Amino acid sequence: MSRGKKPKIGVYICHCGVNIAGVVDVEEVAKYAEKLPNVTLAKHYVYMCSAPGQMMVKEDIKKFGLNRVVVASCSPRMHEVTFRRVVEEGGLNPYLFEMANIREHCSWVHVDEPQRATEKAKDLIRMSVARAGLLEPLQEKEVGVTAKALIIGAGVSGIRAALDLAERGFDVFLVEKEPNIGGRTAQLSELYPTDEYALDVLGPMMEEVVSHPEIKLFTNSEISAVDGFIGNFKVKIIAKPRYVNEKCDACGKCEVECPIEVSNEFDFGLSKRKAIYLPFYYAVPRRYVIDDKNCNKCGKCAEICEKGTINLEDQVKEIDVDVGTIIVATGHDFYEPPKGEYGYKIYENVITMPQLERLLDKNGPTKGQLQFNGSEPKSVVFISCVGSRQEPGVYQPIKEDQKLNRYCSRVCCTAAIKNALKIKERNSATRVYYLYRDMRTFGRGHEDYYRKAGESGILFIKYKPEAPPMFSGNPKHSIVTVQDVLTSNEIMTISADLVVLNVGMVPREDASDIQNKLKITRSIDGFFQEAHAKLRPLETPSDGIYLAGTAQGPKDITDSVAMGSAAAAKATIPLARGKVEIEPIIAIVDEDVCSGCGICLVICPYGAIEKDEKGVAKVIEVLCKGCGACAASCPEKAITILHFTDQQLIAQAIAALGGTHA
Amino acid sequence: MKFEPRIVGFLCNWCAYAGADMAGTSRMVYPPNIRIIRVMCSGRVDPVIVLETLAQGADGVMVMGCHPGDCHYTDGNYQAERKVKMLKKLIAKTGLEAERLRLEWVSASEGERFAGFIKDFTNQLKTLGPSPLAGENPDAEMLTHMLAAKAAAEDFRLRALVGRERKLVEEGNAYGEKLIQEEFDKTMDDAINAEYARNRIYLLVKNEPLPVKELCKRLGLNPKEVLRHIVVMKRRGLITVDKVEGTSPLYAALEAR
Repeated sequence: MSRGKKPKIGVYICHCGVNIAGVVDVEEVAKYAEKLPNVTLAKHYVYMCSAPGQMMVKEDIKKFGLNRVVVASCSPRMHEVTFRRVVEEGGLNPYLFEMANIREHCSWVHVDEPQRATEKAKDLIRMSVARAGLLEPLQEKEVGVTAKALIIGAGVSGIRAALDLAERGFDVFLVEKEPNIGGRTAQLSELYPTDEYALDVLGPMMEEVVSHPEIKLFTNSEISAVDGFIGNFKVKIIAKPRYVNEKCDACGKCEVECPIEVSNEFDFGLSKRKAIYLPFYYAVPRRYVIDDKNCNKCGKCAEICEKGTINLEDQVKEIDVDVGTIIVATGHDFYEPPKGEYGYKIYENVITMPQLERLLDKNGPTKGQLQFNGSEPKSVVFISCVGSRQEPGVYQPIKEDQKLNRYCSRVCCTAAIKNALKIKERNSATRVYYLYRDMRTFGRGHEDYYRKAGESGILFIKYKPEAPPMFSGNPKHSIVTVQDVLTSNEIMTISADLVVLNVGMVPREDASDIQNKLKITRSIDGFFQEAHAKLRPLETPSDGIYLAGTAQGPKDITDSVAMGSAAAAKATIPLARGKVEIEPIIAIVDEDVCSGCGICLVICPYGAIEKDEKGVAKVIEVLCKGCGACAASCPEKAITILHFTDQQLIAQAIAALGGTHA
Repeated sequence: MKFEPRIVGFLCNWCAYAGADMAGTSRMVYPPNIRIIRVMCSGRVDPVIVLETLAQGADGVMVMGCHPGDCHYTDGNYQAERKVKMLKKLIAKTGLEAERLRLEWVSASEGERFAGFIKDFTNQLKTLGPSPLAGENPDAEMLTHMLAAKAAAEDFRLRALVGRERKLVEEGNAYGEKLIQEEFDKTMDDAINAEYARNRIYLLVKNEPLPVKELCKRLGLNPKEVLRHIVVMKRRGLITVDKVEGTSPLYAALEAR
């Protein structure tokens, strides 16, 4: 190994206010660190990441001729980038920096044992010092960027992101799985907190997407493969056959002829549609589509179509696009209660809130009249937290293998109150009961709905999660019994014509598929996980891939739109810069040692290793992600992973066990 | 003084290390026995590094990666799984308890799971007691066994087998023939036994020239097995006949390895 001058290491121990110093004796640790081999100085300071902290490092590099820097503070996942920049500004190569994680891995988890936490902090610093002495300067590589973006999902969040990116002049590929755009928002009636009709809000945005010269829209399409890295993704889009071309003017004659009738998923089964159909009246693009799972290819639609827009031989198309950044805006599904939960699928009058939204929609199956099974319900019961806040031990699972959703879905409280008010607006004589666990009308203007609801005579009954509402009666008419917490557990019996379950949001069924294709992570609740809950809420762990909308977790339209704009802003950064730096943490092959066995070619998940003309392995640097599986498997030990060399790792391990020699 | 096990952890950056961070962010208390080394992927953890860490006296080594199917690098965690499987067999040969090496999956959001594993492993190691290789006076005999294991893990054969395992078992060889896992395991077990024994022989005769009879005694193997290894080792140019005492040849290590 080529090594330069003798290491002169500066060690900086951060108090992080009291986060570290409240548990770890930072002064003692600094005194200890100063005596470690190769250490020139060791200091402790209240906030190393603050401007004075950074300045101290930069000045010391010059003043004491430091050639390595160790900062013992938070996780490198938090501030490694910050301090790499600091040492670079101080005149050192950024890869001559090393971090010891004495907060997340020490002070925060060993509060009960300050003495042992202090000893552990010393160990962690000793490990970092050992490693720092072996660090080598590395050069980041700059690569160009394809100034285009891909957005997966054309719901309200994806649409907002697409429009923002396109307005900035970047080409956008917007891919939507359904035959039309608009996502879940298009299925709503009026929106809180303004009571605007959903399609009045969404319609203009959808039209803008279709007409925008910078946006290439793919409906009825999915992502089949994603390769590459930030700035240079290669994406394969699969366009499923629509069987109806763009000349279709939605005259609707085909639909009349079509002999096949199936349940309409857009109305959550409350209406029927044909096998050739327009998903909903204001569908964008306004063009029919054939559902090939149900179509029997009888050809009647093609016969009647005067414009000849229908081709039953339409095929799947594959389209390859290159993009620099990707936004995942794949949205959510609604919780589908298992049969029997709150009488669902046992009592006919138990429906879910998305179904109620369809009933209240003026373009919905009942043209906005609250009609259920042919009559107007006189009493309506809402039940909150269905499929949300399912606390183990309290919530009784209906199915054996039921996954519990422990989170709050955030939108149901206000949405249900909005709907309760809409029912009262239609007929003030309708008795509306709202059975809730807790009321969470947290957004601007949301509390006004709650107040108005109280004034309008809606009856709020608070139940305990361990005593959920019970159902009896006959299949067509249910009786709901509930204990009212606020009247000392008085038992209330309500004769209900309609019961609405405020179902929460769940991750999309295909979330794991998207996860695997994009190599992003999901949280324990199943939604896609952001890189950091507070500081990097839009990024995924994969550089260049961002999250927007409910794909990341339950949120309302306001927040989804905000996140769409925010993700677009993030996605613009590499596109506007036109270049990205690739971390130089890659594999290199010692070609004198390599025997050409080819095992690394088998192991590399990226095809980043090839055999050169001499028959030895060669790393294609831009494809290598530095995982190191090749090095750990190379039978000749001919592969080195820069910045994670065997020597560096072994030095850390030896130091962890008390050794101080590198 | 109460025995506090020293654990060295090799955690992948994307899931396990982030999970350990999450345990911190959520202030989950666990025993301060682990010292974490960050690697980009659990598949990076070279068997030699694990054996070196144990040889240096770690009471336990914990390798942690992403859940199956969740690897940031597609399948590095499966590579780690194969390596740990091989390592456990190799460690068992040295007389050290194989359970001193543990592999667990922790996602970035599973702080609680991470803390749980550390508590559990710490308790498990407390029951097991200190590693014979730890402390001021490590068990010298076991150390030579560990060095043989390490040398075996450095050699071509075991590395090549582990490296090819997934391909051979899951995709098949160049002729499209898939190996059944049991068949592979049998091949692997034979290779581990042989490579370990050969490295033991090498290290023994490096110290002093020894006859087959003595080697049999020290290795607990029969003369037929030892002779078979000696033939292979002679062919590989690892050992040679140093001299003949009576009718027994004494073997010695060749320096150039």
